[in-house]
Amino acid sequence: MDEPLAPFLEVRPEGLYCPAFEAAVDPPLPARRAILSHAHSDHAAPGHEEVWGTPETIAVYRRRNPDWAGEAQEMRYGERLERHGTTLELYPAGHVLGSAQVFFEREGRSLLYTGDFKRRTSRTSVPAAAPPAQILATETTFGLPVFRFPETKVLEDRLVAACRRAFEEEKTPVLLAYAFGKAQEIALALTDAGIPTVLHGAAWKLLPEFEAAGHAFPTSRAYETGPAQPGEALVVPPYCARTPVVRNVKRRRIVYLSGWAAREASRADFDADVLIPWSDHADFPGLLQHVADVAPRHVVTMHGYSRDFARILTTRGLDAEPLSSARERLSEDVAGAQEESET
Amino acid sequence: MTAYQVLAETLDAVAKERGKLAKIERLAEMLGRVEGEGLKVAARLASGSPFAEWEQAVTSVGWVTVAKAAASVTGWDLETIGACATAIGDLGEAVGLLLTEEPPMGAGGTARSPTVNAMSISEVDARLRELARERKAAGKQAAVEAMLARSSPVEAKYLIKTLSGGLRIGADVTTVEEAISQAFGADREAVARARRDCGDIGETAVAAREGNLGEIRFRLFHPIGFMLATPIEAADEVAQELPLFAVEDKYDGIRAHAHKSGTRVALFSRTLDDVTAQFPEVAASLAKLSGSFLLDGEVLAWKDGRPDSFFRLQRRLGRKAPETELLSEIPVAFVAYDCLARDGRPLFEEEWSVRRKELEAISRGGELLVSPVMRAETPAELDSLFDEARERGNEGLMLKSRDSTYQAGKRGRAWRKYKKALATLDVVVTAVQQGNGKRAGMLSDYTFAVRDGDRFVNIGKAYSGLTDEEIRKMGTHFRKITVARYGPVRAVLPEVVLEVSFDSIQKSTRHKSGFALRCPRIVRLRPDKRAEEADTLQTVVELYDRTAGR
Repeated sequence: MDEPLAPFLEVRPEGLYCPAFEAAVDPPLPARRAILSHAHSDHAAPGHEEVWGTPETIAVYRRRNPDWAGEAQEMRYGERLERHGTTLELYPAGHVLGSAQVFFEREGRSLLYTGDFKRRTSRTSVPAAAPPAQILATETTFGLPVFRFPETKVLEDRLVAACRRAFEEEKTPVLLAYAFGKAQEIALALTDAGIPTVLHGAAWKLLPEFEAAGHAFPTSRAYETGPAQPGEALVVPPYCARTPVVRNVKRRRIVYLSGWAAREASRADFDADVLIPWSDHADFPGLLQHVADVAPRHVVTMHGYSRDFARILTTRGLDAEPLSSARERLSEDVAGAQEESET
Repeated sequence: MTAYQVLAETLDAVAKERGKLAKIERLAEMLGRVEGEGLKVAARLASGSPFAEWEQAVTSVGWVTVAKAAASVTGWDLETIGACATAIGDLGEAVGLLLTEEPPMGAGGTARSPTVNAMSISEVDARLRELARERKAAGKQAAVEAMLARSSPVEAKYLIKTLSGGLRIGADVTTVEEAISQAFGADREAVARARRDCGDIGETAVAAREGNLGEIRFRLFHPIGFMLATPIEAADEVAQELPLFAVEDKYDGIRAHAHKSGTRVALFSRTLDDVTAQFPEVAASLAKLSGSFLLDGEVLAWKDGRPDSFFRLQRRLGRKAPETELLSEIPVAFVAYDCLARDGRPLFEEEWSVRRKELEAISRGGELLVSPVMRAETPAELDSLFDEARERGNEGLMLKSRDSTYQAGKRGRAWRKYKKALATLDVVVTAVQQGNGKRAGMLSDYTFAVRDGDRFVNIGKAYSGLTDEEIRKMGTHFRKITVARYGPVRAVLPEVVLEVSFDSIQKSTRHKSGFALRCPRIVRLRPDKRAEEADTLQTVVELYDRTAGR
């Protein structure tokens, strides 16, 4: 199908575009008007002239782009906008603070764009909704059946146990977690367990937005105020794993918290002692559950294992296809050449 | 009867431990509580090999066969199994995850209750032996399926890892030796010696438990590991130590251990395979010598009283029984350079010079080719010996410390090999693959190509040469430029240029270029070069013409 997301979204080289609202959805490059599903940097590029999103998403976007001078249009969950006969509504996505799925409706037809989402509960995001829609444009970051993640409570217990073991061994727990979302969830879980945290600047600077949403961090402090002391856990983004921030911690126990921690190979990638498959994305059963609840006629998959997940849906009798991109078309050409050259 | 589950759980715990000592402790604890004969099998399986080293048995089950069996047991189609294995980086690990929830999410998996029908360690051994005897792929697949159907997730994970030839738990056979020593309070060196002499970590474990490691004697006709050399690329690297070394030509043939007693002769290759039948003339001539012995040496193509090229020898390889015509067209000879046992007396612990005297004594009693021994006092002398060795059609030089013992199965600095790279080529990476062992999960294996007009034709594959840090960085890049996946292989955009060195160029039907590089090593990344600046097929052809036969 050439226009899998019509009439709501067009697939353009620079990303998805909504003609009715004259807005790009999660565009990777600066756009005149951008609808943002959430404020992670791979969805919220800097420099848009106008940004639409939940108040939380816009607040985090401002915090992360302090020089940004564009205009913001806040939309609460459940609030509806209409233009040229098309309505737009944001639904909770359960991914991070403020994350939204974008729902379009027009003359009895509808499309749900999930952005990033998860079906498991978490402390700082509103649980994902699943409004029925005829077209579902879903993320498939973990779209293979090997990816099944435990409930948040189980993960939190593992996290606390890993920190306690580190303390027993007189080591500092070094927790590798994304700066927006997971770092704060971890800090809150550890606060409840009586374990104080030292947060990397990238996570620390976002605390006001979480506090505005009613969360308190009485036992967290910024890394700037000094290295972790005995009994404190250090929370840093995964990219710090091989930088002095981590290396300077002489006695450390590294815990990698990510959906990718489901792969034992990530132990070597991050020099990790403990792997905890803690993800803000839907796992495979979660993706299937979402498809079942939204009950679409047509599914378009994007991100991660989009081809595999679409194929799996197809074998179950669903009409599904990956969002084809220039990149994927290019790959077919080169893949053909490769097959030819390998004997 | 100890359950296989216990072993699999231990291996999983070993994988999760980061320190060597903790790994050894876990293994020791498990070995200490395995009952009866199960210990023999447990020690072998923990070292990654289902059978004793001396046994000529391999399960030889291909990736596709295992994947098909896994598809049948999990209810997922083969394509999904392949995608999962690639995503996770290990087929066994992926299947373990797929089996973790039962029945698999929405798929029609076979119902199993592993706890009711659990396999003991000994039963796994029996089934792996059946698998090795089974010749047909369909039969092998059915046998693997039958095992997986009775496996818990962690059992399936380690069964598949065992069949795929790599546990990837950061432990090898020497770790298991340490664990045996710790579990049964046996001397570490005695354990290593016993394993070398009997060629079986399993028998060694049992003997350690019974307290009779000392009774294990070296036995002829059980293959043992080869002592390996550390490479040097320039004479200066060994300038200080030169007077300590005996110098020999480095032959470009097939390394082999020759066992002989009475008229019985057996030749074992580096992979411990019995290759006696491939070289009947060698077996026949060794059989004429008197006494019993174990020699280390090289099988070479032989012409006019001197070594012929490796490329001619290649035509003799891989044939179970060569035809008469081939025997006369490409005769081979065995050149001995070490003597590891003579007339019932093992010589591994003796110094090289003592072993050399024994070797010379054998050669005085009959017809045996023995490598000449030379000396070099200075790097300049070594270099002139190197050039002479090349003149004689050999690859380079071997340097052997005169007072060193024979360290079977180890690569040490007591032996050095002196080779010089033929040349280097700038090549372009076209595909990458995850490595094994220490580099499991890292994209460390690169397939590379040279330019031929405006396309790239593959010419070789290299496994190492870069640091872990470099491999990791490149891995991130390769993931970004991946354009297709074929099982574990990722095709990538041809844009990364490497400089590779190699020992020689040979003609090959394996690669599209029609050539293959022998022993390619990655010298360095060439971020300064673009793919259009890589070397061409024409350059390769010219190099081949200039150096063919070397």
